[in-house]
Amino acid sequence: MNGVRIAWRITVLNFRAQLEYRTEFLLMVAIGAIWQVSVIVFATVLLSRFTGMGGWDSSEVLLIPATRMLAHGLFVLVLGRMHYVGRQIQEGKIDTYLVRPMSVYRQVQLSYFPTNAIGDLTVAVGLMVGALSRSELDWTAGRISYLVAAVIGGMLLEAALFTVVACAALRFPAADYWGRWLEELLGTFGSYPLNVLPKAVGGLLTYGLPLAFVAYFPAAVLTGHGHDTGVPYWLAAISPLLGVLAYLGARLLWRWSLSHYTGVNG
Amino acid sequence: MALLHAWRTARVTPLGELHTPPRMTAVLLRLTVQVVLVASLWHGLYSHTGTTAGLSEDQAVTYAVLAVLASRLRELDQYAGRDTVLQHMHFGTIVYWYLRPLPPQRYHALRAVGEQLYGFAWALGGYAVCLAAGVVEPPRSAAVAGVFALSLVLGQLVLYFVMLVLDQLCFWTVRNTAAALILIFAQNLLSGVYAPLWFFPDWFITMSGFLPFQATLSVPLSLYIGRIPLSDAPAQLAIQAVWVVLLFLFTRFLWRQAARRVISQGG
Repeated sequence: MNGVRIAWRITVLNFRAQLEYRTEFLLMVAIGAIWQVSVIVFATVLLSRFTGMGGWDSSEVLLIPATRMLAHGLFVLVLGRMHYVGRQIQEGKIDTYLVRPMSVYRQVQLSYFPTNAIGDLTVAVGLMVGALSRSELDWTAGRISYLVAAVIGGMLLEAALFTVVACAALRFPAADYWGRWLEELLGTFGSYPLNVLPKAVGGLLTYGLPLAFVAYFPAAVLTGHGHDTGVPYWLAAISPLLGVLAYLGARLLWRWSLSHYTGVNG
Repeated sequence: MALLHAWRTARVTPLGELHTPPRMTAVLLRLTVQVVLVASLWHGLYSHTGTTAGLSEDQAVTYAVLAVLASRLRELDQYAGRDTVLQHMHFGTIVYWYLRPLPPQRYHALRAVGEQLYGFAWALGGYAVCLAAGVVEPPRSAAVAGVFALSLVLGQLVLYFVMLVLDQLCFWTVRNTAAALILIFAQNLLSGVYAPLWFFPDWFITMSGFLPFQATLSVPLSLYIGRIPLSDAPAQLAIQAVWVVLLFLFTRFLWRQAARRVISQGG
């Protein structure tokens, strides 16, 4: 309980610190929104030019970016500071975190307030409302619960991926470059039915980089395309659970990597 | 002697990259995977569609793959080397730029030349592989290739000046992270990195015509794939040249104004 109170107080202080630069604060909110809008723009252009993408109608396809973007917005808000671990290592901040009486992971997350998450989440919620209003599905309690679980699972899966990159950065600080690419990949290929891609490429985005589990598989299960994804139905259906497992695994890897971390002073 | 200084300054980024194996590996893997994914995506999208927005399947795939390769020319990442204007302003070390025998504007330009040549080597290597593998179409004639090369150089100049304006913004604002991200987004969207501009509505294409961004990528790539015919090339090249001149004059003015704002610690 004490830990939660401290985390909350630090977050409030971080938020006030961001407000110190008002123009920058507003621009950061805008950039969060603009980043998400870029995904919508790309999706809209493709949907309008190439109808019936992968056998999905446009209202069904819309559920994929809506789920992914909401999961991404929550990730940025709650666990998104893993992006900047490489930079914090290069600046020697991790060495400072190690001697403080708080978990390093939590200190990384509390290092600053992610203002851009406000814009991210605003656009993501708007898109989700739009996707649900256009959807012709019967939104039963079970479907809604699954959608909520999918969003949380997607957030944890994204956090797991970035935590793995952060673990690599503990050994090779320049590895944070991979994080930027990962974000780009998630934005570009995480928002469409992956069955438009050749099977080998779809397999790569399922088993190599498990991007399909973030939004594509949950949306396929919800819209009745779960049997056409190229993986067993049960595997697609347990995507939210895989997100939880991946995150737990990534945290174990982080703990192991941190125990082997060597700062510049040896 | 000037040439020696230029060489030493320009090679900073390539040398930094060569001494960072994870970055080199990441670039190679990123380019390879990105080319495969992008080519697969556009082939997949066109599988049930014929020519759309004036682009055939081969043209769209070629455009998309070349845009991925061109990304190596567009990432002027000096952040890892702690040599961005933003970092120097933050730590107060920008003053050293004004104490060296090399003028800051020339230093900035030489660093960019080194970065872009390094990126060009990657892009050229990737292009050769893609061409040999049949992923991209070759230019339709020697004239198209020549016009494309000229347009690409002009596009890179426009890109350099646009990014320079962003750097120069740091002299007036304490932080420019958000402005940088917004400009990079606008630059990517309006230059056709996310998707060829031809797929966008007419009003969007018209609006892009009044901005410099499309001159950086959309114009050279559209010339290459033949979406802009050779007969329209002189007009497009002229527009690019006008942007180069305008942005050069504007950034030169900003360098002069910026110099008046630089103070060392303690005033």
